[in-house]
Amino acid sequence: MKVLSLYVERDTFIHKLEPVTKLLYALVSIVITFLFPSITVGAVFVVISLFLAISAKVFKRMILLLNVVLIILLSIVIIQGLFYSKNATPVFKLWGLTFYKEGLLYSLLLIVRVVDMIISFGVLILTTRPSDLVDDLVQKGLSPRFGYVLASVLQIIPQMLSTTSTITDAQRSRGLETEGNLLQRFSAFFALLGPLVLNSLVEARERAMAIEIRGFGVEGKRTFVREIPETKADRWIKVALYVVFTVAVVWRIVLWIM
Amino acid sequence: MDNVSTLSAKISIEHLTYRYPFAKNRSLEDITLSIDAGQSIGIIGRNGAGKSTLCYTLSGLIPRFFHGKIEGSIKIDGEDVPTMSVEKLIRKVGLVLQNPFSQISGAKMTVYEEVAFGLENLGIEKDEMHERIDTVLKQFDLYKKKDENPFELSGGQLQRLAIASVLALQPEILILDEPTSQLDPRGTTEVFEAISQLKTLGITVIIVEHKFEKLVEYVDKIALLNDGKLVEYDTAEKIFSMPQIEDYGVGQPIYTALCKRMGLKKPNGYYPVSFNETVTLLNGLKMYE
Repeated sequence: MKVLSLYVERDTFIHKLEPVTKLLYALVSIVITFLFPSITVGAVFVVISLFLAISAKVFKRMILLLNVVLIILLSIVIIQGLFYSKNATPVFKLWGLTFYKEGLLYSLLLIVRVVDMIISFGVLILTTRPSDLVDDLVQKGLSPRFGYVLASVLQIIPQMLSTTSTITDAQRSRGLETEGNLLQRFSAFFALLGPLVLNSLVEARERAMAIEIRGFGVEGKRTFVREIPETKADRWIKVALYVVFTVAVVWRIVLWIM
Repeated sequence: MDNVSTLSAKISIEHLTYRYPFAKNRSLEDITLSIDAGQSIGIIGRNGAGKSTLCYTLSGLIPRFFHGKIEGSIKIDGEDVPTMSVEKLIRKVGLVLQNPFSQISGAKMTVYEEVAFGLENLGIEKDEMHERIDTVLKQFDLYKKKDENPFELSGGQLQRLAIASVLALQPEILILDEPTSQLDPRGTTEVFEAISQLKTLGITVIIVEHKFEKLVEYVDKIALLNDGKLVEYDTAEKIFSMPQIEDYGVGQPIYTALCKRMGLKKPNGYYPVSFNETVTLLNGLKMYE
Protein backbone atom coordinates (compact mmCIF):
# COMPACT_ATOMS: atom_id res chain seq x y z
CA MET A 1 0.00 0.00 0.00
CA LYS A 2 1.45 3.35 -1.03
CA VAL A 3 1.14 6.37 1.18
CA LEU A 4 1.70 9.87 -0.13
CA SER A 5 4.93 10.47 1.71
CA LEU A 6 8.55 11.36 0.99
CA TYR A 7 9.70 10.24 4.42
CA VAL A 8 13.15 8.62 4.50
CA GLU A 9 13.70 6.23 7.40
CA ARG A 10 16.99 7.06 9.14
CA ASP A 11 18.18 7.09 12.72
CA THR A 12 19.46 10.63 13.12
CA PHE A 13 19.14 13.49 15.58
CA ILE A 14 17.02 15.46 13.07
CA HIS A 15 14.62 12.51 12.65
CA LYS A 16 14.17 12.36 16.42
CA LEU A 17 13.23 16.01 16.74
CA GLU A 18 9.59 16.86 17.31
CA PRO A 19 7.86 17.56 13.96
CA VAL A 20 6.64 20.95 15.17
CA THR A 21 10.26 22.01 15.88
CA LYS A 22 11.19 21.22 12.28
CA LEU A 23 8.07 22.98 11.02
CA LEU A 24 8.95 26.01 13.12
CA TYR A 25 12.49 26.07 11.68
CA ALA A 26 11.11 25.91 8.12
CA LEU A 27 8.67 28.77 8.78
CA VAL A 28 11.21 30.96 10.56
CA SER A 29 13.88 30.48 7.90
CA ILE A 30 11.41 31.22 5.08
CA VAL A 31 9.93 34.30 6.78
CA ILE A 32 13.39 35.73 7.52
CA THR A 33 14.70 35.18 3.99
CA PHE A 34 11.64 36.99 2.66
CA LEU A 35 11.85 39.68 5.33
CA PHE A 36 15.38 40.73 4.31
CA PRO A 37 16.09 41.44 0.63
CA SER A 38 19.63 40.15 1.17
CA ILE A 39 21.39 37.37 -0.67
CA THR A 40 23.71 36.89 2.30
CA VAL A 41 20.88 36.32 4.78
CA GLY A 42 19.24 33.90 2.35
CA ALA A 43 22.55 32.11 1.73
CA VAL A 44 23.10 31.69 5.49
CA PHE A 45 19.76 29.90 5.83
CA VAL A 46 20.42 27.81 2.71
CA VAL A 47 23.71 26.69 4.25
CA ILE A 48 22.03 25.89 7.61
CA SER A 49 19.24 23.98 5.85
CA LEU A 50 21.79 22.08 3.75
CA PHE A 51 23.75 21.23 6.88
CA LEU A 52 20.52 19.87 8.45
CA ALA A 53 19.78 17.83 5.32
CA ILE A 54 23.28 16.35 5.35
CA SER A 55 23.06 15.62 9.11
CA ALA A 56 19.76 13.87 8.51
CA LYS A 57 21.34 11.78 5.72
CA VAL A 58 18.72 12.89 3.22
CA PHE A 59 20.93 15.02 0.98
CA LYS A 60 20.51 12.78 -2.08
CA ARG A 61 16.73 12.98 -1.83
CA MET A 62 17.02 16.71 -1.37
CA ILE A 63 18.86 16.97 -4.70
CA LEU A 64 15.96 15.13 -6.33
CA LEU A 65 13.54 17.64 -4.81
CA LEU A 66 15.64 20.54 -6.10
CA ASN A 67 15.73 18.97 -9.58
CA VAL A 68 11.94 19.36 -9.70
CA VAL A 69 12.27 23.16 -9.59
CA LEU A 70 15.41 23.43 -11.70
CA ILE A 71 13.52 24.66 -14.78
CA ILE A 72 11.67 27.27 -12.72
CA LEU A 73 14.96 28.52 -11.27
CA LEU A 74 16.50 28.69 -14.73
CA SER A 75 13.51 30.64 -16.05
CA ILE A 76 13.88 33.10 -13.15
CA VAL A 77 17.49 33.77 -14.15
CA ILE A 78 16.59 34.28 -17.82
CA ILE A 79 13.51 36.45 -17.24
CA GLN A 80 15.02 38.64 -14.52
CA GLY A 81 18.46 38.80 -16.21
CA LEU A 82 16.84 40.05 -19.40
CA PHE A 83 13.75 41.96 -18.34
CA TYR A 84 14.12 43.17 -14.72
CA SER A 85 12.74 46.73 -14.57
CA LYS A 86 15.90 48.16 -12.95
CA ASN A 87 18.30 46.57 -15.45
CA ALA A 88 21.09 49.06 -16.34
CA THR A 89 24.54 47.37 -16.26
CA PRO A 90 25.16 44.80 -19.00
CA VAL A 91 27.19 41.79 -17.89
CA PHE A 92 27.33 39.41 -20.86
CA LYS A 93 25.65 38.59 -24.14
CA LEU A 94 24.27 35.20 -25.15
CA TRP A 95 22.85 34.55 -28.65
CA GLY A 96 22.43 38.29 -29.04
CA LEU A 97 20.54 38.67 -25.73
CA THR A 98 22.02 40.98 -23.08
CA PHE A 99 21.95 39.91 -19.44
CA TYR A 100 22.13 42.67 -16.82
CA LYS A 101 23.79 42.74 -13.42
CA GLU A 102 20.74 44.09 -11.53
CA GLY A 103 18.45 41.44 -12.95
CA LEU A 104 20.93 38.62 -12.28
CA LEU A 105 21.42 39.75 -8.67
CA TYR A 106 17.66 39.96 -8.16
CA SER A 107 17.23 36.50 -9.68
CA LEU A 108 19.91 35.21 -7.31
CA LEU A 109 17.94 36.62 -4.37
CA LEU A 110 14.77 34.90 -5.62
CA ILE A 111 16.65 31.64 -6.18
CA VAL A 112 18.13 31.72 -2.70
CA ARG A 113 14.64 32.23 -1.25
CA VAL A 114 13.10 29.42 -3.31
CA VAL A 115 15.97 27.02 -2.59
CA ASP A 116 15.81 27.79 1.13
CA MET A 117 12.05 27.19 1.08
CA ILE A 118 12.52 23.82 -0.61
CA ILE A 119 15.43 22.68 1.55
CA SER A 120 13.96 23.78 4.89
CA PHE A 121 10.57 22.21 4.10
CA GLY A 122 12.44 19.28 2.55
CA VAL A 123 14.18 18.63 5.86
CA LEU A 124 10.74 18.54 7.49
CA ILE A 125 9.04 16.22 5.01
CA LEU A 126 12.01 13.92 4.41
CA THR A 127 12.65 13.34 8.10
CA THR A 128 9.10 13.27 9.47
CA ARG A 129 6.34 10.71 9.04
CA PRO A 130 3.28 12.63 7.77
CA SER A 131 1.13 10.98 10.43
CA ASP A 132 3.57 12.15 13.14
CA LEU A 133 3.36 15.72 11.89
CA VAL A 134 -0.45 15.65 11.84
CA ASP A 135 -0.64 13.94 15.26
CA ASP A 136 1.77 16.48 16.70
CA LEU A 137 -0.21 19.39 15.29
CA VAL A 138 -3.49 17.97 16.61
CA GLN A 139 -1.88 17.42 20.03
CA LYS A 140 -0.77 21.06 19.90
CA GLY A 141 -4.33 22.23 19.27
CA LEU A 142 -5.02 21.86 15.54
CA SER A 143 -8.67 20.98 14.91
CA PRO A 144 -9.00 17.15 14.85
CA ARG A 145 -11.28 17.51 11.82
CA PHE A 146 -8.62 19.41 9.88
CA GLY A 147 -5.99 16.94 11.12
CA TYR A 148 -8.15 14.06 9.90
CA VAL A 149 -8.45 15.61 6.45
CA LEU A 150 -4.66 16.05 6.22
CA ALA A 151 -3.91 12.54 7.45
CA SER A 152 -6.57 10.73 5.45
CA VAL A 153 -5.64 12.39 2.16
CA LEU A 154 -2.21 10.74 2.37
CA GLN A 155 -3.76 7.26 2.28
CA ILE A 156 -7.06 7.76 0.53
CA ILE A 157 -5.60 9.36 -2.64
CA PRO A 158 -3.34 6.34 -3.35
CA GLN A 159 -6.39 4.17 -2.58
CA MET A 160 -8.41 6.12 -5.16
CA LEU A 161 -5.61 5.67 -7.71
CA SER A 162 -5.75 1.94 -7.09
CA THR A 163 -9.55 2.01 -7.61
CA THR A 164 -8.99 3.97 -10.83
CA SER A 165 -6.71 1.25 -12.10
CA THR A 166 -9.28 -1.45 -11.19
CA ILE A 167 -12.07 0.43 -13.01
CA THR A 168 -9.81 0.99 -16.04
CA ASP A 169 -9.03 -2.74 -16.16
CA ALA A 170 -12.73 -3.57 -15.87
CA GLN A 171 -13.63 -1.13 -18.67
CA ARG A 172 -10.82 -2.45 -20.85
CA SER A 173 -11.91 -6.06 -20.33
CA ARG A 174 -15.30 -5.04 -21.70
CA GLY A 175 -13.76 -3.65 -24.85
CA LEU A 176 -13.22 0.01 -24.04
CA GLU A 177 -10.24 1.44 -25.90
CA THR A 178 -8.11 3.19 -23.30
CA GLU A 179 -5.12 3.74 -25.56
CA GLY A 180 -4.77 5.31 -28.97
CA ASN A 181 -5.34 8.83 -30.22
CA LEU A 182 -6.35 11.77 -28.05
CA LEU A 183 -10.07 11.38 -28.78
CA GLN A 184 -10.05 7.69 -27.74
CA ARG A 185 -8.21 8.49 -24.54
CA PHE A 186 -10.59 11.34 -23.84
CA SER A 187 -13.68 9.14 -24.21
CA ALA A 188 -12.02 6.46 -22.03
CA PHE A 189 -11.42 9.12 -19.40
CA PHE A 190 -15.12 10.03 -19.33
CA ALA A 191 -16.09 6.37 -19.08
CA LEU A 192 -13.83 6.13 -16.06
CA LEU A 193 -15.06 9.30 -14.41
CA GLY A 194 -18.63 8.19 -13.66
CA PRO A 195 -17.88 4.98 -11.71
CA LEU A 196 -14.86 6.56 -10.01
CA VAL A 197 -16.77 9.59 -8.75
CA LEU A 198 -19.79 7.53 -7.67
CA ASN A 199 -17.59 4.95 -5.97
CA SER A 200 -15.64 7.68 -4.18
CA LEU A 201 -18.83 9.39 -3.01
CA VAL A 202 -20.26 6.12 -1.66
CA GLU A 203 -16.99 5.30 0.09
CA ALA A 204 -16.74 8.81 1.53
CA ARG A 205 -20.27 8.52 2.93
CA GLU A 206 -19.57 5.09 4.42
CA ARG A 207 -16.30 6.31 5.90
CA ALA A 208 -18.06 9.32 7.39
CA MET A 209 -20.61 6.95 8.99
CA ALA A 210 -17.88 4.62 10.21
CA ILE A 211 -15.86 7.36 11.93
CA GLU A 212 -19.01 8.95 13.34
CA ILE A 213 -19.96 5.72 15.11
CA ARG A 214 -16.45 5.61 16.51
CA GLY A 215 -16.94 8.93 18.20
CA PHE A 216 -15.28 11.30 15.74
CA GLY A 217 -17.99 13.90 16.28
CA VAL A 218 -17.84 13.69 20.08
CA GLU A 219 -16.85 17.01 21.60
CA GLY A 220 -14.56 16.99 24.60
CA LYS A 221 -11.10 16.01 25.70
CA ARG A 222 -9.26 13.65 23.37
CA THR A 223 -6.42 11.38 24.31
CA PHE A 224 -3.62 10.09 22.11
CA VAL A 225 -2.29 6.57 21.91
CA ARG A 226 1.06 7.81 20.64
CA GLU A 227 2.17 11.08 22.14
CA ILE A 228 4.93 12.88 20.31
CA PRO A 229 7.50 13.79 22.99
CA GLU A 230 9.05 17.22 23.24
CA THR A 231 12.70 16.67 24.16
CA LYS A 232 15.06 19.10 25.87
CA ALA A 233 16.72 19.73 22.50
CA ASP A 234 13.32 20.61 21.01
CA ARG A 235 12.69 23.14 23.74
CA TRP A 236 16.10 24.82 23.26
CA ILE A 237 15.82 24.90 19.48
CA LYS A 238 12.33 26.40 19.72
CA VAL A 239 13.53 29.09 22.13
CA ALA A 240 16.46 29.87 19.81
CA LEU A 241 14.11 30.09 16.82
CA TYR A 242 11.71 32.40 18.67
CA VAL A 243 14.64 34.64 19.64
CA VAL A 244 16.06 34.72 16.10
CA PHE A 245 12.61 35.44 14.68
CA THR A 246 11.92 38.25 17.18
CA VAL A 247 15.33 39.85 16.62
CA ALA A 248 14.86 39.63 12.84
CA VAL A 249 11.42 41.25 12.96
CA VAL A 250 12.61 44.04 15.28
CA TRP A 251 15.71 44.60 13.15
CA ARG A 252 13.61 44.79 9.99
CA ILE A 253 11.23 47.30 11.60
CA VAL A 254 14.19 49.41 12.71
CA LEU A 255 15.61 49.31 9.16
CA TRP A 256 12.26 50.46 7.77
CA ILE A 257 12.04 53.33 10.26
CA MET A 258 15.60 54.43 9.62
CA MET B 1 -47.33 -12.23 15.18
CA ASP B 2 -47.42 -12.51 18.97
CA ASN B 3 -47.29 -9.35 20.99
CA VAL B 4 -44.04 -9.21 22.92
CA SER B 5 -43.42 -7.48 26.19
CA THR B 6 -40.88 -4.70 25.71
CA LEU B 7 -40.69 -3.60 29.34
CA SER B 8 -37.59 -5.53 30.45
CA ALA B 9 -35.91 -5.71 27.06
CA LYS B 10 -32.42 -4.39 26.24
CA ILE B 11 -33.76 -2.94 23.04
CA SER B 12 -37.40 -2.12 22.56
CA ILE B 13 -38.82 -0.85 19.33
CA GLU B 14 -42.44 0.19 19.17
CA HIS B 15 -44.33 1.20 16.05
CA LEU B 16 -41.15 2.46 14.44
CA THR B 17 -41.74 4.14 11.10
CA TYR B 18 -39.10 5.96 9.09
CA ARG B 19 -38.87 7.63 5.72
CA TYR B 20 -35.63 8.95 4.18
CA PRO B 21 -35.62 12.59 3.06
CA PHE B 22 -37.19 13.01 -0.39
CA ALA B 23 -38.18 9.30 -0.46
CA LYS B 24 -41.66 8.39 -1.61
CA ASN B 25 -42.06 5.27 0.48
CA ARG B 26 -41.34 4.49 4.08
CA SER B 27 -38.24 2.39 4.60
CA LEU B 28 -39.53 1.11 7.94
CA GLU B 29 -43.19 0.77 8.76
CA ASP B 30 -44.73 0.10 12.15
CA ILE B 31 -41.95 -2.15 13.44
CA THR B 32 -42.41 -3.49 16.95
CA LEU B 33 -39.95 -5.91 18.49
CA SER B 34 -37.85 -6.39 21.59
CA ILE B 35 -34.40 -7.88 22.13
CA ASP B 36 -33.16 -9.11 25.48
CA ALA B 37 -29.67 -8.56 26.79
CA GLY B 38 -27.17 -11.12 25.52
CA GLN B 39 -29.44 -12.33 22.73
CA SER B 40 -28.20 -12.80 19.19
CA ILE B 41 -30.65 -11.70 16.57
CA GLY B 42 -30.53 -12.14 12.80
CA ILE B 43 -32.25 -9.75 10.43
CA ILE B 44 -33.13 -11.07 6.99
CA GLY B 45 -35.06 -9.80 4.02
CA ARG B 46 -34.61 -9.05 0.34
CA ASN B 47 -32.74 -5.95 -0.90
CA GLY B 48 -34.62 -2.82 0.08
CA ALA B 49 -36.53 -4.59 2.86
CA GLY B 50 -35.23 -2.09 5.43
CA LYS B 51 -32.52 -4.18 7.11
CA SER B 52 -29.75 -1.57 6.94
CA THR B 53 -32.20 1.21 7.80
CA LEU B 54 -33.19 -0.68 10.95
CA CYS B 55 -29.47 -0.99 11.82
CA TYR B 56 -29.01 2.74 11.32
CA THR B 57 -31.94 3.58 13.60
CA LEU B 58 -30.64 1.21 16.28
CA SER B 59 -27.17 2.74 16.11
CA GLY B 60 -28.49 6.30 16.15
CA LEU B 61 -27.21 7.18 12.65
CA ILE B 62 -30.89 7.87 12.00
CA PRO B 63 -31.72 10.68 12.74
CA ARG B 64 -28.22 12.06 13.44
CA PHE B 65 -26.56 11.22 10.14
CA PHE B 66 -29.58 10.53 7.95
CA HIS B 67 -32.42 12.93 8.54
CA GLY B 68 -35.98 12.23 7.52
CA LYS B 69 -39.22 11.53 9.30
CA ILE B 70 -39.06 9.13 12.22
CA GLU B 71 -42.10 8.02 14.24
CA GLY B 72 -42.63 5.56 17.05
CA SER B 73 -40.04 4.79 19.69
CA ILE B 74 -36.72 3.02 19.83
CA LYS B 75 -35.19 2.54 23.25
CA ILE B 76 -32.06 0.98 24.69
CA ASP B 77 -32.21 0.20 28.41
CA GLY B 78 -35.34 2.35 28.52
CA GLU B 79 -33.59 5.40 27.03
CA ASP B 80 -34.73 6.99 23.81
CA VAL B 81 -32.06 6.42 21.11
CA PRO B 82 -32.71 9.50 18.92
CA THR B 83 -32.30 11.86 21.89
CA MET B 84 -29.48 10.00 23.69
CA SER B 85 -26.10 11.81 23.75
CA VAL B 86 -23.72 10.62 21.02
CA GLU B 87 -21.04 9.69 23.54
CA LYS B 88 -23.45 7.57 25.57
CA LEU B 89 -24.84 5.95 22.45
CA ILE B 90 -21.37 5.01 21.19
CA ARG B 91 -20.65 3.30 24.51
CA LYS B 92 -23.92 1.37 24.17
CA VAL B 93 -24.03 0.47 20.49
CA GLY B 94 -21.34 -0.46 17.98
CA LEU B 95 -21.98 -0.81 14.26
CA VAL B 96 -19.94 -2.70 11.68
CA LEU B 97 -20.77 -1.94 8.05
CA GLN B 98 -20.59 -4.01 4.87
CA ASN B 99 -17.53 -2.69 3.11
CA PRO B 100 -14.37 -3.48 5.07
CA PHE B 101 -12.30 -1.02 3.02
CA SER B 102 -14.44 2.06 3.59
CA GLN B 103 -14.98 1.67 7.31
CA ILE B 104 -11.42 2.04 8.46
CA SER B 105 -10.63 5.63 9.31
CA GLY B 106 -8.04 6.05 6.55
CA ALA B 107 -6.12 8.44 8.77
CA LYS B 108 -4.07 5.93 10.75
CA MET B 109 -0.92 4.27 9.53
CA THR B 110 -0.98 1.10 11.63
CA VAL B 111 -3.53 -1.47 12.75
CA TYR B 112 -2.77 -0.55 16.36
CA GLU B 113 -3.47 3.13 15.79
CA GLU B 114 -6.61 2.28 13.83
CA VAL B 115 -8.10 0.48 16.84
CA ALA B 116 -7.06 3.45 18.98
CA PHE B 117 -8.98 5.90 16.75
CA GLY B 118 -12.34 5.55 18.53
CA LEU B 119 -10.75 5.37 21.98
CA GLU B 120 -8.85 8.62 21.34
CA ASN B 121 -12.08 10.31 20.28
CA LEU B 122 -13.76 9.25 23.51
CA GLY B 123 -10.81 10.45 25.60
CA ILE B 124 -10.01 7.04 27.12
CA GLU B 125 -6.91 7.20 29.34
CA LYS B 126 -3.69 5.97 27.73
CA ASP B 127 -3.10 2.94 29.97
CA GLU B 128 -6.65 1.71 29.55
CA MET B 129 -6.41 2.39 25.85
CA HIS B 130 -3.34 0.15 25.47
CA GLU B 131 -5.00 -2.56 27.53
CA ARG B 132 -8.17 -2.52 25.45
CA ILE B 133 -6.28 -2.47 22.13
CA ASP B 134 -4.05 -5.38 23.12
CA THR B 135 -7.09 -7.37 24.26
CA VAL B 136 -9.13 -6.96 21.09
CA LEU B 137 -6.17 -7.45 18.77
CA LYS B 138 -5.32 -10.73 20.49
CA GLN B 139 -8.99 -11.73 20.58
CA PHE B 140 -9.35 -11.25 16.83
CA ASP B 141 -5.95 -12.71 15.97
CA LEU B 142 -4.56 -9.43 14.68
CA TYR B 143 -1.86 -8.82 17.25
CA LYS B 144 0.92 -9.92 14.89
CA LYS B 145 -0.36 -7.39 12.36
CA LYS B 146 -0.44 -4.48 14.77
CA ASP B 147 2.35 -2.53 13.05
CA GLU B 148 1.07 -3.07 9.51
CA ASN B 149 -0.83 -0.51 7.48
CA PRO B 150 -4.59 -1.32 7.62
CA PHE B 151 -4.83 -1.04 3.83
CA GLU B 152 -2.38 -3.94 3.52
CA LEU B 153 -4.73 -6.41 5.25
CA SER B 154 -6.95 -8.87 3.40
CA GLY B 155 -10.72 -8.32 3.30
CA GLY B 156 -11.37 -10.80 6.11
CA GLN B 157 -8.62 -9.33 8.29
CA LEU B 158 -9.89 -5.83 7.59
CA GLN B 159 -13.42 -6.77 8.62
CA ARG B 160 -12.04 -8.36 11.79
CA LEU B 161 -10.15 -5.12 12.38
CA ALA B 162 -13.41 -3.19 11.96
CA ILE B 163 -15.12 -5.44 14.52
CA ALA B 164 -12.14 -5.18 16.88
CA SER B 165 -12.08 -1.37 16.54
CA VAL B 166 -15.75 -1.16 17.47
CA LEU B 167 -15.45 -3.72 20.29
CA ALA B 168 -12.55 -1.77 21.80
CA LEU B 169 -15.19 0.84 22.66
CA GLN B 170 -16.83 -1.90 24.76
CA PRO B 171 -20.39 -1.48 23.48
CA GLU B 172 -23.17 -3.49 25.08
CA ILE B 173 -24.79 -4.06 21.70
CA LEU B 174 -23.01 -4.87 18.45
CA ILE B 175 -24.76 -4.51 15.12
CA LEU B 176 -23.22 -6.13 12.05
CA ASP B 177 -24.71 -5.06 8.74
CA GLU B 178 -23.86 -7.78 6.21
CA PRO B 179 -20.30 -8.06 7.48
CA THR B 180 -19.36 -10.80 5.02
CA SER B 181 -21.14 -9.61 1.88
CA GLN B 182 -17.91 -8.46 0.22
CA LEU B 183 -15.67 -11.25 1.44
CA ASP B 184 -14.46 -14.48 -0.09
CA PRO B 185 -15.23 -17.82 1.67
CA ARG B 186 -12.03 -17.65 3.71
CA GLY B 187 -12.76 -14.10 4.81
CA THR B 188 -16.33 -15.09 5.66
CA THR B 189 -15.12 -17.96 7.84
CA GLU B 190 -12.66 -15.63 9.58
CA VAL B 191 -15.39 -13.13 10.37
CA PHE B 192 -17.85 -15.76 11.61
CA GLU B 193 -15.18 -17.23 13.85
CA ALA B 194 -14.72 -13.74 15.27
CA ILE B 195 -18.47 -13.28 15.67
CA SER B 196 -18.81 -16.61 17.47
CA GLN B 197 -16.54 -15.20 20.20
CA LEU B 198 -18.95 -12.35 20.85
CA LYS B 199 -21.52 -14.66 22.38
CA THR B 200 -19.07 -15.62 25.09
CA LEU B 201 -18.62 -11.93 25.95
CA GLY B 202 -22.32 -11.52 26.75
CA ILE B 203 -22.78 -8.85 24.08
CA THR B 204 -26.17 -8.41 22.47
CA VAL B 205 -25.58 -9.03 18.77
CA ILE B 206 -27.75 -8.05 15.83
CA ILE B 207 -26.58 -9.33 12.50
CA VAL B 208 -27.87 -8.78 8.99
CA GLU B 209 -26.68 -11.66 6.84
CA HIS B 210 -27.59 -13.51 3.66
CA LYS B 211 -25.40 -16.54 4.36
CA PHE B 212 -28.11 -18.39 6.25
CA GLU B 213 -26.15 -21.58 6.88
CA LYS B 214 -23.73 -19.54 8.95
CA LEU B 215 -26.36 -17.26 10.45
CA VAL B 216 -28.64 -19.96 11.87
CA GLU B 217 -25.82 -21.53 13.81
CA TYR B 218 -25.32 -18.32 15.67
CA VAL B 219 -28.60 -16.50 16.29
CA ASP B 220 -31.35 -17.07 18.87
CA LYS B 221 -34.05 -15.44 16.80
CA ILE B 222 -34.58 -14.03 13.34
CA ALA B 223 -36.52 -10.95 12.26
CA LEU B 224 -37.89 -11.26 8.73
CA LEU B 225 -38.45 -7.90 7.04
CA ASN B 226 -40.31 -7.22 3.81
CA ASP B 227 -40.96 -3.78 2.29
CA GLY B 228 -40.05 -2.12 5.58
CA LYS B 229 -42.48 -4.22 7.61
CA LEU B 230 -41.69 -6.87 10.18
CA VAL B 231 -43.22 -10.05 8.78
CA GLU B 232 -42.12 -12.47 11.48
CA TYR B 233 -39.83 -12.49 14.51
CA ASP B 234 -39.12 -15.99 15.72
CA THR B 235 -36.62 -18.84 15.87
CA ALA B 236 -34.75 -19.78 12.70
CA GLU B 237 -36.55 -23.12 12.34
CA LYS B 238 -39.97 -21.47 12.54
CA ILE B 239 -39.01 -18.71 10.12
CA PHE B 240 -37.56 -21.04 7.48
CA SER B 241 -40.38 -23.56 7.89
CA MET B 242 -42.91 -20.90 6.88
CA PRO B 243 -44.60 -22.16 3.69
CA GLN B 244 -44.51 -18.69 2.12
CA ILE B 245 -40.86 -17.94 3.03
CA GLU B 246 -39.72 -17.86 -0.61
CA ASP B 247 -42.34 -15.22 -1.41
CA TYR B 248 -40.25 -12.78 0.59
CA GLY B 249 -37.25 -13.34 -1.66
CA VAL B 250 -34.83 -14.40 1.04
CA GLY B 251 -34.05 -17.99 0.14
CA GLN B 252 -33.31 -20.49 2.88
CA PRO B 253 -30.44 -22.58 4.25
CA ILE B 254 -29.40 -25.32 1.85
CA TYR B 255 -30.14 -27.96 4.52
CA THR B 256 -33.70 -26.67 4.94
CA ALA B 257 -34.24 -26.66 1.18
CA LEU B 258 -32.92 -30.22 0.97
CA CYS B 259 -35.17 -31.48 3.78
CA LYS B 260 -38.17 -29.67 2.31
CA ARG B 261 -37.51 -31.40 -1.02
CA MET B 262 -37.22 -34.75 0.78
CA GLY B 263 -40.18 -34.01 3.03
CA LEU B 264 -38.13 -34.53 6.18
CA LYS B 265 -39.25 -32.71 9.31
CA LYS B 266 -37.96 -32.78 12.85
CA PRO B 267 -40.16 -34.37 15.53
CA ASN B 268 -41.39 -30.85 16.49
CA GLY B 269 -42.81 -30.41 12.99
CA TYR B 270 -40.24 -27.88 11.72
CA TYR B 271 -37.56 -28.32 9.10
CA PRO B 272 -33.92 -28.50 10.18
CA VAL B 273 -31.89 -25.37 9.44
CA SER B 274 -28.32 -26.39 10.20
CA PHE B 275 -25.90 -29.09 9.16
CA ASN B 276 -25.95 -30.73 12.60
CA GLU B 277 -29.74 -30.81 12.77
CA THR B 278 -29.89 -32.34 9.31
CA VAL B 279 -27.31 -34.99 10.15
CA THR B 280 -29.16 -35.82 13.38
CA LEU B 281 -32.41 -36.13 11.46
CA LEU B 282 -30.88 -38.32 8.78
CA ASN B 283 -29.15 -40.50 11.39
CA GLY B 284 -32.50 -40.88 13.13
CA LEU B 285 -34.07 -42.09 9.90
CA LYS B 286 -31.21 -44.53 9.38
CA MET B 287 -31.88 -45.92 12.83
CA TYR B 288 -35.41 -46.87 11.82
CA GLU B 289 -34.41 -48.53 8.54
